[in-house]
Amino acid sequence: MISDETKKRFDALVKRYPEKRSGLIPILHEVQAEVGYLSPEAIAWVAAYLTLSPADVMSVASFYDMLHLEPVGKHMIYVCQNLTCSLLGAEPLIRHLEDRLGIRMGETTPDGLISLKRMECLASCGTAPAIQIDGIFYERVTPQKLDELLEKLRNGRLRGSRA
Amino acid sequence: MPTLKIDGVEVTVPAQTTIIEAAERLGIEIPRYCYHPGLSVVGQCRMCQVEVERMPKLAIACNTPVADGMVVSTRSPKVEKARRAVLEFYLLNHPLDCPICDKGGECPLQDYTLAYGPGESRSVEEKIQRVKHKVLGPHIVFDAERCILCTRCVRFCHEIPKTGELGVFSRGDQSEINLFPGKVLDNAYSGNVIDLCPVGALTSRQYRFQSRPWDLVRHTESVCPLCSNGCNVVLDVRHRQRGEELLRIRPRENPAVNRWWMCDEGRFTFTYLHDPARLRVPTWREDGPRGEMAYDDLLLRVARAIRRVVEAHGPEAVGCIASSWQANEELFLVRRFFREILGTPHLDFRVRPVQFQPSDASEDGILRRTDKTANSRGARDLDLRPGPGGLDAAGMITAAAEGRLKALFVFEEDLVRAFPDGPLREALGRLDLLVASSLFPTETTALAHAVLPALGFAEKEGSFTNFQGRIQKIRRALTPHVASRSLPEALRELALNLGRDLGGIEPEQVWAAIGERPGPYQGIAWKDIGDLGLLPEES
Amino acid sequence: MAFEKILTRYQDVPNYTGTIDEYIAQGGYQALPKALREFQPADLVETVKRSGLRGRGGAGFPCGVKWGFIPKDSPRPKYLVCNCDESEPGTFKDRMLIEEEPHQLIEGIVISSYAIGCHLAFIYCRGEFVSGAQVLERALREAYGRGFLGRNILGSGFELDVHVHRGAGAYICGEETGLLESLEGKRGQPRMKPPFPAISGLYRSPTVVNNVETLSNIPHIVLRGAEWYASIGPPKSAGPRLFSVSGHVERPGNYELPMSITLRELIFDHAGGIPNGRRLKAVIPGGSSAPVLTEQHLDVGMDFESLAAAGSMGGSGGVIVMDDTVCMVRVGEIVSRFYHHESCGQCTQCREGTAWLHKVLRRIEHGQGRKEDLDVLLDMCDNMKGKTICVLSDAAAMPIESYLAHFREEFEIHIRERTCPFEGRGAF
Repeated sequence: MISDETKKRFDALVKRYPEKRSGLIPILHEVQAEVGYLSPEAIAWVAAYLTLSPADVMSVASFYDMLHLEPVGKHMIYVCQNLTCSLLGAEPLIRHLEDRLGIRMGETTPDGLISLKRMECLASCGTAPAIQIDGIFYERVTPQKLDELLEKLRNGRLRGSRA
Repeated sequence: MPTLKIDGVEVTVPAQTTIIEAAERLGIEIPRYCYHPGLSVVGQCRMCQVEVERMPKLAIACNTPVADGMVVSTRSPKVEKARRAVLEFYLLNHPLDCPICDKGGECPLQDYTLAYGPGESRSVEEKIQRVKHKVLGPHIVFDAERCILCTRCVRFCHEIPKTGELGVFSRGDQSEINLFPGKVLDNAYSGNVIDLCPVGALTSRQYRFQSRPWDLVRHTESVCPLCSNGCNVVLDVRHRQRGEELLRIRPRENPAVNRWWMCDEGRFTFTYLHDPARLRVPTWREDGPRGEMAYDDLLLRVARAIRRVVEAHGPEAVGCIASSWQANEELFLVRRFFREILGTPHLDFRVRPVQFQPSDASEDGILRRTDKTANSRGARDLDLRPGPGGLDAAGMITAAAEGRLKALFVFEEDLVRAFPDGPLREALGRLDLLVASSLFPTETTALAHAVLPALGFAEKEGSFTNFQGRIQKIRRALTPHVASRSLPEALRELALNLGRDLGGIEPEQVWAAIGERPGPYQGIAWKDIGDLGLLPEES
Repeated sequence: MAFEKILTRYQDVPNYTGTIDEYIAQGGYQALPKALREFQPADLVETVKRSGLRGRGGAGFPCGVKWGFIPKDSPRPKYLVCNCDESEPGTFKDRMLIEEEPHQLIEGIVISSYAIGCHLAFIYCRGEFVSGAQVLERALREAYGRGFLGRNILGSGFELDVHVHRGAGAYICGEETGLLESLEGKRGQPRMKPPFPAISGLYRSPTVVNNVETLSNIPHIVLRGAEWYASIGPPKSAGPRLFSVSGHVERPGNYELPMSITLRELIFDHAGGIPNGRRLKAVIPGGSSAPVLTEQHLDVGMDFESLAAAGSMGGSGGVIVMDDTVCMVRVGEIVSRFYHHESCGQCTQCREGTAWLHKVLRRIEHGQGRKEDLDVLLDMCDNMKGKTICVLSDAAAMPIESYLAHFREEFEIHIRERTCPFEGRGAF
């Protein structure tokens, strides 16, 4: 399930830490990027790799907003819904996004391309409203700018680190 | 040692004692959910908050060490408000299905709400819906709506069996206890989560809907017989139309033996006591088919047969194989009957390989032991072994096969199963008299001339000695079947039929005799054996 | 009076990209050799104590005092963890510091590690800081390349490794013990204290956890002296502070200023005032956990003491400005939704209370409030404060209490009229 190269990277990664369990969250990030989401099989692989119980790893993974235990789209759009972004138009932006993609926040487009997720403060309040696509910030977002971003995303012309 | 005051009462405790422990010494129970003395302290439920003078905030009693001069209040208005608040918060999402909940009547959430909680909820919000009656494993069923996330079960699985099946998944009020997909809660100690759960979230599949706590008329303190550890237990009995029924076994705290725990095998293995297949009446077989026979008649015949054998071949023609299932009192009387009254040296109890080792071993580093009987230690301490020139169990069988042994008594052991190799059947078949006692029909009872129904551990009074040498009482929780007599009663009758007196057979009387004799139990009286047992070297 | 930028002076360098050469060119990495050559570790701790530097993450705890708690005689390794989990709503200055001036932080980390005897340090970045973490990784490689990290730093014999560790999205990991749990690969659930991290922190060893901005100050204190630093701003709130100003202002952004500045000066002089000719209605001065202030508080100083005296707190320096189109019940709904979402769930009052607060406020905002709700809310807040392992529960309760204290009438109108009087107005 996990390539030998990735596993080698993990071997090096856990050596950074006095206790190898510290590597868990970085490893979950990478496994998620490689597998697409943290499937039970992926969790079980990580648990075995770090000699933890699968329930323990699942418990950790389920704690964090950026770790997905269900399949998600190829691209992930986070929309900040916290106070400053809301003051400056997050909700109309969310409605616009939902209309354009025909899905609700928390859902994935039927073609598996894009998932939408409400997020809490992304530390972009000075340039609100803010969104993140595949780990990259887009700020002072307007519906018009959003349309351009979606267009680029569909055409594969949006850089992203998908981390 | 610091001295502090709790609710106005002074108490002196060792340093590092926590407030919750110090209060316990004064008999003050500080309400708690997540705290359990056998598990790591997480301080999450916030139920045990107390007011400590000169501390700005309430302190959690479970994780606050005592200090000299500390003044603690467990019932101040501030404490009571905080407690009421915790309960109100719990009840926001806890279903009020107490009338159909197995925990109802013995539920700390119910009890503390009654004692400290708000009269009614101020919430009008809808309760969160979660998974209900999910089977987690062979013994446990889970109701997530009732769960208050104390995490005792999660910590138990991590810390005691170290199997870690359970986890808290998600975060905040979405948090839920669950298993990893495809896994089951099936470790040797899983049943303990039933006792640990302070609400009806984790309940016993075996006990589910069997009884309300107040219908359990008897809570008998006893000891689990299923291995040499001797875990302390409580036997919960209910009256049913068909008679008394043992419905539940729970562990009973004993720091020196089982702490708060017991294994699933001990907890859930007891329905055999109510099995209709059990032997209920004595039977006799002589030339013809086996038939039921009244005790008195049967014991007369047995006595006659013994006398014949002894007169013809001497007492050395009689042997006895006792059992480590038997209580100390039974074992003592068996030894007295065979070694002293009949005068045969052929006495043994060892029919399992583990009993030939100096001691058995821990099976898992937790509680379970490799000797799966209750009282090998007692049998050894009471010298249920061959006397000078006596034969051991295997020797007796050989002697029977060779015609040297004419009469054999076998108590609560199936020799055919214990010695599967060799000409056992032929050996037993040559005996003039084979007497067997047993809970169930066995191949040995099938061959016996006289069969006596035996009593289960919950049907008799007495004691077992665990592997450490700790003598622990077993108490009668169930009234034996009308036709069953205890082995001491049968032996006394048999002795009388032989013109001899076995002596007193009540535990007090038996221990008066045991205590008189040199040996590990010298000087011990029945009353000396307390609720937590007695380790002779400590007395 | 124009204030001399210290942490953000790079902003005045044209086309500055934060590389090691640019940082050195404007005087960077001069404090490190000075610290290693001229200071004993204990002297550094004393210097930082004298400087009056207080933590910039939220609690404002004196940095040197925190360092001083590290036991000198402990045989265990010591750890420094840089808290870059910036998640307090309204705060965005740490993200700027790591993205734009990463070496200032790294230099601060090396000096601080030397001060406390640490040889392995971590920068815990919130999971969403994907590019920020990449910038830091690159900067760390540069620093290793120049001998500012690794074995025998600048020939001093001092040795230090620093790693970037990314979280995965959880506000509570900004709480220092939640952060340590997360760094150990666990759920980010705060630990009971005591023991404090200085005694038993990362891997049960003595640990200092310092915020990005806090550590970025260290090189300047070493280079220019504690007395210079202490002379900036009010005596108990020394040094420059980055204020993140957002919301209804003309020029939102980070402003580096002494804490002697007033709220009015910050909003109106620096951030350009309220747009569209609107009036100021409310301002949250220190991140969303801080109680709200109003027009009457505009002349309060932005130092820790003055804000506390005004009934709020300096917190993380996140200043959220709201004009008179804003519905305070809706603000309550949004803020309580946040704490509801972010409660780790271990303590009863917080797990249940944050959810209940949110549900009641949502109900009131949507016209289904009941008269008794407001008193229930206040009592609920009282039941949530000061009773849990960490202060998230307090942070959820305090703002709501303050909204009710300053804007109770607005809540009552919602309940009486069974609707939000602000609905349809503005984008909110």
